[in-house]
Amino acid sequence: MAKQNIDAFSEDLEFSTFYVGGALCGINILNIQEINKHFEITKVPQASEYIEGILNLRGRIVTIIDLGKKLGLAPVTKNKDNRNIIVNSEDEHIGLLIDSISDVVSAKKDSIESSPSNIGGAKGKYFKGVLKTEKHLIGILDIDEVLKE
Amino acid sequence: MFELDDETLQMYIEESLDHLGDIESDLLTIEEAGENIDLDLVNNVFRAAHSVKGGAGFMGLTTIKDLAHHLENVLGLIRNRELIPDSERISVLLKGFDQLENLLKNIETSNDVDVSHHISALESITKATVPEERKEMISKIVDIVLSDGRIFPQVSLFEIEQYKSEGKNLFLVEYDLINDIQRKEKNPIEVLNSLQKTGTIIDSRIDFDSVGTLTENDVPSRIPFQVLFASIIEYDMTETLFDIKKQYIHAISDNMIVPTSVKNPAEEPSIMKPLKKQPAAQVMVETQKPIKTASIEKQKPKQVATPAVKEVKKIEENEEDNLSTAEKDATVNAKMQSSLRVNVGLLDTLMNLAGELVLSRNQLLQGINSSNQKATELSSQRIDMITSELQEAIMRTRMQPIANILNKFTRIVRDLSHQLGKTIDLIIEGKDVELDKTILESINDPLTHLIRNSIDHGIETPMEREQMGKHPTGKIILKAFHDAGQVNLVISDDGKGLNPAKIANAAVEKNLISEQQLTEMSDKQKMELIFLPGFSTAEAVTDVSGRGVGMDVVVTNISNLGGIIELDSVTGAGTTIQIKLPLTLAIIPSQITSVGNERYAVPQVNLNELLRIPAAQVKEKIEKVGDAAVVRLRGELLPLLNLADMLGIKKTYSDPVITEDLPERRQNIADRRSKHHILSEDGIIMDSSDNEAEFPQRGQEDRRYHASSAINIAVVSAGAFKYGLVVDKLHDSEEIVVKPVGRHLKKCTAYAGATIMGDGKVALILDISNLAQMAELSAVSEASQMVREAEAAAEAAKDKAALLTFKNSESEYFAAPLNIVERIERIESSTIEQIGNNRVVQYRGGSLPLYELSQVAEFKPLAPKDQHEVIVFKIKDRELGLLVTTPIDALEVTLDIDESTLKQPAISGSMIINKHTTLLVDIFEMVKILNPGWFKEEAKVAAEMAESGEKIILFAEDSAFFRNQVKTFMEDDGFKVIEAEDGLIAWELLKERVDEIDIVITDLEMPNMDGFELTKRIKSDPKYSHLTVIALTSLASEAHIEKGRKVGIDEYEIKLDREKLMKVIRQKLNLST
Repeated sequence: MAKQNIDAFSEDLEFSTFYVGGALCGINILNIQEINKHFEITKVPQASEYIEGILNLRGRIVTIIDLGKKLGLAPVTKNKDNRNIIVNSEDEHIGLLIDSISDVVSAKKDSIESSPSNIGGAKGKYFKGVLKTEKHLIGILDIDEVLKE
Repeated sequence: MFELDDETLQMYIEESLDHLGDIESDLLTIEEAGENIDLDLVNNVFRAAHSVKGGAGFMGLTTIKDLAHHLENVLGLIRNRELIPDSERISVLLKGFDQLENLLKNIETSNDVDVSHHISALESITKATVPEERKEMISKIVDIVLSDGRIFPQVSLFEIEQYKSEGKNLFLVEYDLINDIQRKEKNPIEVLNSLQKTGTIIDSRIDFDSVGTLTENDVPSRIPFQVLFASIIEYDMTETLFDIKKQYIHAISDNMIVPTSVKNPAEEPSIMKPLKKQPAAQVMVETQKPIKTASIEKQKPKQVATPAVKEVKKIEENEEDNLSTAEKDATVNAKMQSSLRVNVGLLDTLMNLAGELVLSRNQLLQGINSSNQKATELSSQRIDMITSELQEAIMRTRMQPIANILNKFTRIVRDLSHQLGKTIDLIIEGKDVELDKTILESINDPLTHLIRNSIDHGIETPMEREQMGKHPTGKIILKAFHDAGQVNLVISDDGKGLNPAKIANAAVEKNLISEQQLTEMSDKQKMELIFLPGFSTAEAVTDVSGRGVGMDVVVTNISNLGGIIELDSVTGAGTTIQIKLPLTLAIIPSQITSVGNERYAVPQVNLNELLRIPAAQVKEKIEKVGDAAVVRLRGELLPLLNLADMLGIKKTYSDPVITEDLPERRQNIADRRSKHHILSEDGIIMDSSDNEAEFPQRGQEDRRYHASSAINIAVVSAGAFKYGLVVDKLHDSEEIVVKPVGRHLKKCTAYAGATIMGDGKVALILDISNLAQMAELSAVSEASQMVREAEAAAEAAKDKAALLTFKNSESEYFAAPLNIVERIERIESSTIEQIGNNRVVQYRGGSLPLYELSQVAEFKPLAPKDQHEVIVFKIKDRELGLLVTTPIDALEVTLDIDESTLKQPAISGSMIINKHTTLLVDIFEMVKILNPGWFKEEAKVAAEMAESGEKIILFAEDSAFFRNQVKTFMEDDGFKVIEAEDGLIAWELLKERVDEIDIVITDLEMPNMDGFELTKRIKSDPKYSHLTVIALTSLASEAHIEKGRKVGIDEYEIKLDREKLMKVIRQKLNLST
């Protein structure tokens, strides 16, 4: 809800961009709680395949989702560049495991174009739109859609 | 400035509810006592109603005051023994008090609630009881006019007269809220309470009429707080008692009492009603209003209101149940946030602990700053200790006695049983057991449900009960107790129990289970079907003997609390439901286990024991039944679930060489671990060249030689399921804090939540009952049951017999069949009388002949002793004693008898029992040798039989020992015996010689063809079916006998009971004895 307000009122949007499964994606920076590199992840057998596990984030149990798998891209390859992007959704913290973090990009709201049906192999429904910069094409993630069970 | 703040009101409500707390049980006791009125109890209830009324007047809670007043009237009559408290009247009182409680809990709206039906019901009781001349007083309201013209309005004349008749003096005491109460730092409620000690408060109010308004005076000089008070104290004494000036105490004389024009006090607007919410400044303005309204309403005659009220009453009585439950629900919700009474001592403890915690923190900080490791360690230990104590103390503040909810069941049982025409006693045990407040509140509904079920479906009507030979009064026992860190609640009734077959059919009809599943279910499992969601919707359930209306909801509620529920029922005899609950929800003790790299917590509630099977014993202890592994635990087969398989985790083991956890290669747990196994498994491993390259050192240093290859099992139970959970490692037991998991994991039913371990990592908490369901454990437990049955059958197949072992001399061991032993006695040697060659002892009014084994065979005579042990046998309806030496012991053994080696007179053979060669004594033969006279009759019959043509017995028996034994004594009695070594031979012989054979005697367990099959063939062939079949068995179980009856066996006899067998044979052949 808060996010919609933000979208409506501010012309300038900031996106935190990152690589996942070879694609460059962005999330509105205001949706992001924190970005960390805690990898003391406890596996949860029998959970959906895209669930990486659960994590203790200062006393809270946070579900970590392998964003690569969730979007239908290549799974996140484990290396030192991996990060968890913690987002808040429906009063719950959820972590998105990504390959590596990139820049924060500002853009005008109207510069976001509607998303094609497929972005780098990922389903279009997960994206709100695409943002073209000089060098890259950034897929703007629809967090609510991504976090649907 | 006076303010009637929330605090005063809150205090009043709490106190009133406190007063009302015990009333229900008191009233029920009063009802039970009937005419034998217990004055103390009645007074108790009376006082409660009274205190509620006293405060209500002054708070302006007119409805409450009114209701309390009428309740009090009825109770007053009971107290004066003018009224007998029968159950109808008590019902009215109970309902009245319920309403009163509701009003108090919803104090803000209380004045708007219509209580007229309660009041008229109460009034009609009072009116029916009191004599004519006083009748009109009951509803008569009077005002009390003071000398200065002010009035104290709306007092019940009836009440005044009551007190007068008790010889009490009436006073109107006028406190000043400002000077007498506020300035003296008192509280109106406290004043009322202290007055209660010396007399009775009839009514109280604040006299706003004489206060004036803000516009007239900025600060009113006085706010009179009037209390109408009845006491035995004389007027002179009152000044000291009330601590106010005499001019404010008015003795009330008859001429001050004048009738009021307005009769219905309920119509009177509440003077104080707005007070609670309004700021004090507004109060003064507000006070004007009521006076105006009151004056308008004074014109309104009461007659208009009454008929309307009566109509309403009828409708409401029908709806009352629904209404009151709805109201109750509302109050429960409200109560959730309400205050909690905590013992001051406990608060002090908390304070102390908090203090200590601060001190320890300071020490810890100091220790860290100065890098003093010892100090740091010390203070961390202290903090550890204080934290546990603090945790415990805080928990205790939340603990409430379970009596709070159990007590109200007395009422439920009473009301419901009346309604259903049943008589039921409720026995409550363990009221002191304490539970966490939230748990207590949440088990209320499930418990109510279970109790209702017991009353409604469990207990039969008195008539049905009598027909079944039960006591007409049913019994429900509600028991709470602590066990192993849990609270147990047991609800048991002696009603008709559950009918598994009917439940199962109902479940099949509703498509909850398939016919196929049904065939595999035990009775207990069938009964547990009532817990299934969807089982309980239809009304048919009531017909089905069942409980079950919403049982699934009960189960859900209980398991939400982390509790488990167990059901046990015997059709016709009653049902027992056991609920186990954790003491608290937030922190649960758990056993930490691990599989692979992850830890899993098993809640202690579900944990029975831990089992570790050493590597060497794995092969013999763990068996496979079908596909399922089972472990033998104290004679019982326990199905095993492998947590790793369940969760689809790769099992690991810690490799002793490279000290890393490696994936487990074992296929299943039963595949272990003789040397042969190791070799072949290793062989496979070695085949892989990768492995060889990776672990060049592998070889003799195999992991299987290490203790870590033992199997660790947590034996857990959830409801009816009990199973062993196989894990890689068992760690410590820890108290864990339950944390919820995110929404993406909700569908993983194997977990009850997650927790954070000491090292900061997360561990999952296992949901034991869901795991069992995931594994479809019922199938496993069925399988193990089948194994048990098969084993029992195998046991029975062996010739087992109960023997009594004893000694003759120190080194000579003997045994005799237990079933011919009557008793074992100890006698004084001095009482033995020697008559000729015979010894006797006087015994139970007769002479018991005594023998010892040395008399019949070559054994040592008994050493002379002061006391002798005597085994008393009964043969031919006569008793004889055998003198023996201790120890005497009874045991059950598999007979494996050597008949030849030690054969001698009166000894039928020998076998090894407990490492001693033991001789089997043939008591018959012994008696025959020693006392041939006893067998004269048999000899005669035998002779007769020989004359009239021999009777021929076909005797099938596989054990040579028994064959010879039995054959011998049959032949002794003049029968001819055809022997057969098994059923098949017997069958062939029978076909050949059917015309000769008179009777068939057969052993049951034989090779080739057993006794059952033989009998079946005989009985189903018309050529042979006339023959009597007697089965000989060593131990006859009920199941066996039943099975035998089905195939047509006529009689069962015990193998070594010669006398009985011969008697039956003669009977069947119509021979005289």
